[in-house]
Amino acid sequence: MKAPAFNRALRQLVALPIVLLVLLAGFVFWQIESATRAQRELDHSDQVTAQLQELLNLFIDQETGLRGFQLTADPLMLAPWEAAAGPIQSHLANLREMLTTDTTQEASLSELEGRYNQWLGFARAVLHEDPSALKAAGVNQQGKAMMDSVRATTARMLRHESDLRETKYRLAQRLQRQQLISLVVSAVVVGIFLALFTWHHVRAISASYQRRISEITERSEQLSESRLWFQTTLESIGDAVIACDVGGRVKFTNAVAQKLTGWTLDDAMGKPLETVFHIVHENTRAIVENPVEKVRRLGQVIGLANHTVLIARGGREYMIDDSAAPIKSGAGEMIGVVLVFRDVTEERRIQGALVASEKLAVAGRLAASIAHEIHNPLDSVANLHFLLREEDDPEQRAEYLRMAQQELSRTMQISRTMLSLYREPKAPIQVELRELIEGVLLLLERRLQNQEIRLETDIAGDLTVEGFPAELRQVFTNLLVNAVEAAGPKGRIRIRVEHADAGEWQGAGAIIEVADSGPGIPATTAKNLFQPFFTTKGMQGTGLGLWVSMGIVQKHGGSITLVKSTEPDLPGARFRVFLPARTLTQLAGTEQQNESAA
Amino acid sequence: MSLPRILCIDDEALGLQIRRAVLERAGYQVLTAIDGPTGLSLFRGNEVDGVVLDYYMPEMDGGVVAETMRRERPQIPIMLLSAYINLPAEVVAMVDVTLLKGEGPQELLEKLRSMLETRSNYPSEAHARGGAV
Repeated sequence: MKAPAFNRALRQLVALPIVLLVLLAGFVFWQIESATRAQRELDHSDQVTAQLQELLNLFIDQETGLRGFQLTADPLMLAPWEAAAGPIQSHLANLREMLTTDTTQEASLSELEGRYNQWLGFARAVLHEDPSALKAAGVNQQGKAMMDSVRATTARMLRHESDLRETKYRLAQRLQRQQLISLVVSAVVVGIFLALFTWHHVRAISASYQRRISEITERSEQLSESRLWFQTTLESIGDAVIACDVGGRVKFTNAVAQKLTGWTLDDAMGKPLETVFHIVHENTRAIVENPVEKVRRLGQVIGLANHTVLIARGGREYMIDDSAAPIKSGAGEMIGVVLVFRDVTEERRIQGALVASEKLAVAGRLAASIAHEIHNPLDSVANLHFLLREEDDPEQRAEYLRMAQQELSRTMQISRTMLSLYREPKAPIQVELRELIEGVLLLLERRLQNQEIRLETDIAGDLTVEGFPAELRQVFTNLLVNAVEAAGPKGRIRIRVEHADAGEWQGAGAIIEVADSGPGIPATTAKNLFQPFFTTKGMQGTGLGLWVSMGIVQKHGGSITLVKSTEPDLPGARFRVFLPARTLTQLAGTEQQNESAA
Repeated sequence: MSLPRILCIDDEALGLQIRRAVLERAGYQVLTAIDGPTGLSLFRGNEVDGVVLDYYMPEMDGGVVAETMRRERPQIPIMLLSAYINLPAEVVAMVDVTLLKGEGPQELLEKLRSMLETRSNYPSEAHARGGAV
């Protein structure tokens, strides 16, 4: 039962008995009213009877008075006559008034009055006669007959009234019985109805109430269960989680967060986030902006600055990787901020080791290719030396010496390139990009020739960037070796180096683009391209080349991206490297610290 | 006694030219080829007593050339030259001798001589030809 239905049922439960009781009261009132009316009718008959009785007595008094006077001729005897005359008139008037509704009695009353007036006329005549004549028998007879007819009429009226009363009485009796029965019946019916109605409604309401109660209980159980579930989940995940309210006060920390920050939940509860989550920049040691502030400012998920170090309560430091996100209410209002972070100290160490191992692998591969490059001219020189020893013809000797010189120059050039590859300055220096890339191409020249790859270069002169030449050489060697492998025999590679203007996101610098005519990189591969240990070359690749390249480029403040090829004759991969003309000066320091950490 | 004829294959033009001079000075007849396919066609069209083959060449490397030669005329000895130390084992197994570039002309001539001598113990084209040339 829903809330409106529940309320309706409650209203019905109260209103219906009231309505029924009002109806019942109305019914009872109506019955009392009819009983009263019947009683009044009875009273009316009684009054009429009483008036008639008195009237009869008064008639007798008058007649008696008249008789006495007839007998004695003493005017004193007329006293009763005199006394009755007034009351008789008033009784007659009363009766006239009372009998207006009863035509039979009204007619009888008129008859009675007529007869009485006749007798009265006779009586008055008698009183004015000579008293001696009064004793005549004829007069007496006449008077008696008149009075008898008055009495007879009165008696008839009395009888009639008595009959009327009897009828009324029986009617009243019947009415009373009927009233009693209907009262009892209606009371019983209403009672039963109310009982049934109330029972039904109370039962429905009670059931619904029970259901509501059990629903609420269940819901609260579910709620506490899901709360427990979420808590357990948050506790169990390997990442550290801190939740704050909008004011930046800590509301929750999971076990990992407690371990990393060194604050127990009880201690941390309600504390400002920056107290519990004390983060500084790895190199500058500057305090990093409070993530709650940043989320509140931006209203979206943020990744915190790289190189963040968390200083735990006990002073221990962890390198962390973290993100912060707003907690939003159903209405979309921000009600808090959740921070997720993890300890990447070990990961960083491993990354450092990987970078070093890739450096070694690159060095190894380079050494092999250099050995190959040097052995060819060395072989020629050794052979020429043998020939020179046995040759006497000066012209032929000169030719041999020229050849030897040619091969020696080649060896020297390769050796110089190799040396510059391993002589790395401590601080970034100005690197002439054309020179750097031509140096890389020189080492790959033979490979390109072997594969008959057509190389197009479009290198703007005088472009310099600040950086570490050996590392940059490593980047372009990687990109070019990949391009050679992708392009395959008789393929094409294009290297373009151009100036990049300062934009909104970056300063001025150079863009180096390496495009090949190979099959291109499928989208599925592309998204993993810069991940460590990702390789498409099977056992031939370490899977670290592009990952390390990206690290190097990023260290220089630049970016490396795979861009979509738009030219049909160079459909393969196209890598674009941006290098800013000036790197951040602090990077020099950063690099050294990283090296020593690794 | 006819001069033994050696087929020399290398994509390094200058190196090849110098090696030819060394071998001729040592008394060999020398045929030269600048890549694998040219070398194979010379191999098919000429009587040779031995082959000096560079491993690292574009398109068709020394391994493929040696395999083809072995299939066609297995009795011809092959010396494989390389600037690489790590040659594939199956290629090393296929040829008679390997030589690292830069070991010097004496080493080259010595190994070539011993290779041809070893082979001459078996019936070979050089013997079959007798002194006809």
